Amino acid sequence: MKVEKITCKDVMSHICESLGEDLESPKCIEIKSHLDECPDCSNYFKSVEKTIDFYKKYNVELPSEAHNKLIEFLGLSEDK
Amino acid sequence: MEEQQIIEAAKNGDKKAMSELVKSYEKTVYNFAFKICRDSLKAENIMQETFYSMIKSLRQFDGKSKLSTWLYRIVSNHCLMEARKKKYESVSIDDDDGLYDNSYAAGWDSVPANVVENNELKNILDEAIQKLSPDYRIVFLLRDVEGLSTEETGKITELSVPAVKSRLHRARAFLRKEINKAFQK
Ligand SMILES: [Zn+2]
Repeated sequence: MKVEKITCKDVMSHICESLGEDLESPKCIEIKSHLDECPDCSNYFKSVEKTIDFYKKYNVELPSEAHNKLIEFLGLSEDK
Repeated sequence: MEEQQIIEAAKNGDKKAMSELVKSYEKTVYNFAFKICRDSLKAENIMQETFYSMIKSLRQFDGKSKLSTWLYRIVSNHCLMEARKKKYESVSIDDDDGLYDNSYAAGWDSVPANVVENNELKNILDEAIQKLSPDYRIVFLLRDVEGLSTEETGKITELSVPAVKSRLHRARAFLRKEINKAFQK
């Protein structure tokens, strides 16, 4: 049990490191089976994925006012 | 017209082509600037500076990288310059203690899917990412949020691939920890 067994901390660190990378190495396979058995790590995994997802979905609109100011600032206004 | 042709025309001073380029990339640039500085006025200024630099130095653009990569680099440099001027004070994430706090707040399961309409969550996200120093923030945003490759992210930030990975790793763990803390309140 104690010898060379990966710890939850290893697993969590690995999750943060390798999300989005190729997950076929022997270490990753071990991690995956750990995730299946350990609710703490599996929750951790879920929350790291959600963290990334939150920031991905958080977008802002470019205000049309800002667009107009930009074009003017650059001297690219259409000649009237 | 292909983008390549538009770029060539813009290099020769064609204003219409320049506006085309601005229109194609202004949303990306504005959004990325906003995501780094979390402030709409600053984002607007950075966007102006970025396109000003683009037009000024377009002749030096050799087409070896994508124009978007080039623009990301200009935005990143502007933001890093700003941050250095301010002598940015952010929390150190150099030591591992507490970085992998595995407590799990109920908030993770109860967040509705629509992030943008959830002001409370937006505040949490803004606060968490602002605690991250800008050089970590930029790596996280380029790689995870904008979806660039590790290599492209390295080119833009002038970091080696292992350095990108290590920052990304810490940035993810740090943001997750901060959001978790906020969900516990
Ligand atoms: Zn575990």
